[in-house]
Amino acid sequence: MSELWRYFLLFLGAALVYNILLIRFIALCPFFGISNRMETSIGMSISVIFVMVMATSVSWLAWNYALEPLGVGEFLYIPSFILVIASLVQFVEMVIKKASPPLYKAMGIYLPLITTNCAVLAAATESVKPGFFTKLNIAYHYGFLESVIYTMGVAVGFSAVLIVFAAMRERIELAPVPKFFRGVPIAFMAAALFSLAFMGFAGMFKL
Amino acid sequence: MVQLDLVWKAALALTGLGMLFGALLAVAFRFFRVEVDPRVEELLEALPGSNCGACGLPGCEAAAEALAAGEAPPDICKAGGPDTTAAVARILGVEAETGVRRVAHIRCRGGESLSPSLAFYQGVNSCRGAMLAAGGGKSCPYGCLGLQDCADACPVNAISFGEEGVREVVIDRCTGCGICEEVCPRGLIEMVPAARRVLVRCNSRYTGKKAVSLCKVACTGCRRCEKVCPRDAIRVRDGVAYIDFERCDDCGECAAVCPTDSIQIWSTLPGHPHKGEFTVPPKARKKKASGPGHEKEGGSDSCAGEGPGED
Repeated sequence: MSELWRYFLLFLGAALVYNILLIRFIALCPFFGISNRMETSIGMSISVIFVMVMATSVSWLAWNYALEPLGVGEFLYIPSFILVIASLVQFVEMVIKKASPPLYKAMGIYLPLITTNCAVLAAATESVKPGFFTKLNIAYHYGFLESVIYTMGVAVGFSAVLIVFAAMRERIELAPVPKFFRGVPIAFMAAALFSLAFMGFAGMFKL
Repeated sequence: MVQLDLVWKAALALTGLGMLFGALLAVAFRFFRVEVDPRVEELLEALPGSNCGACGLPGCEAAAEALAAGEAPPDICKAGGPDTTAAVARILGVEAETGVRRVAHIRCRGGESLSPSLAFYQGVNSCRGAMLAAGGGKSCPYGCLGLQDCADACPVNAISFGEEGVREVVIDRCTGCGICEEVCPRGLIEMVPAARRVLVRCNSRYTGKKAVSLCKVACTGCRRCEKVCPRDAIRVRDGVAYIDFERCDDCGECAAVCPTDSIQIWSTLPGHPHKGEFTVPPKARKKKASGPGHEKEGGSDSCAGEGPGED
């Protein structure tokens, strides 16, 4: 198995087979909060992909060059990763505000929200800390490139589902839904069916 | 066994990371700082923050920036009302004439019994959708379809069902943002000063018998209101009466002569400044009914459209 093929499967596994929203039910708050309009969900998706990859990269460095050599990673990973993510988002916000005001206008509202997004912490933790999440049927060596690819898979999976779900909700808005199911209840049902469909990806490949 | 060295290492690791990132952010702030007008922050505090977009700018932040740059008048925020305008004016250090509070008014009261449906519309619960399907089936092509568009668009849920399924504005909730005015496919909604009592409740461009045949309470364009108005505040344009709210002083003369009761007076309930109902002054009307001449006595239905001013 070539290395490239393995990376591809890693990406696919993170995006589809263990989709963070529909299979693992992490980050459901933005999933329901942002998904009622297409525009906002696209903005959120782009920001999430960007921040997740950045956060994992820096978390990887923090883990491998600070926590692990000192032997304190086992119990300090959560506070340190939160520290990493919070400062990173601040930094990214500052840079974007200076470098590209239009991009800041498009992404600006979502950046502070992402600081508190559990999916970012989850992706960073499981791709960096050995033994945290080993359900993927793929040999995972916790190298830098691997971590980044894995996180990108998680983020793309998140974005794809968020955007598709937003499109679905926009159509549900116009559908003749029984009165007491309108709004969030029907969204929850749609999400459940959507999740069932995603379970079909389970065991899609084994290596 | 307690590993004491771990305590030191943990403290070292977190302090180190914290100081590193803190230093990085401090340095980054020096390089990447964007000079922002401090008033923008203050203005943002003063604005309602609901990002309704009624000012025509994308959200309150854009409005705050426009205000600070002097590109927008202090009373740009319609949703915030006079209080917000005053706060904004204080921050900007200018005198602002406080705007008049405006509320939405739906120019239709023709429900099913007054303007019967010609066809039943089944489909997307939206007036714009119904308009595409052969106009929605209502006999009056200018009247309220009573579907969801304005109610959905309203950011403060101020539009509800009124009599017979025609939409109605809940005056005390309405912020006067004017969003409903834009979504209504029939252009029925107008923004009127909240203090005004006499309002036209019809939008029918048809005149005379044609108007009444489509809706029993239609404005026939008879111009009696025009003639009776002491302040020249009401005008018939395109077959329907419009009130000039700058001139109107709520005397109610026009409502008294209107043969179809399409001009009505909003009377508030005692003790509830925002709750009330539309009424017609009955006494004055009887007196006027014998005035103009060749007009039968009786209900508004029979005499409508026969007025002398009809053309």
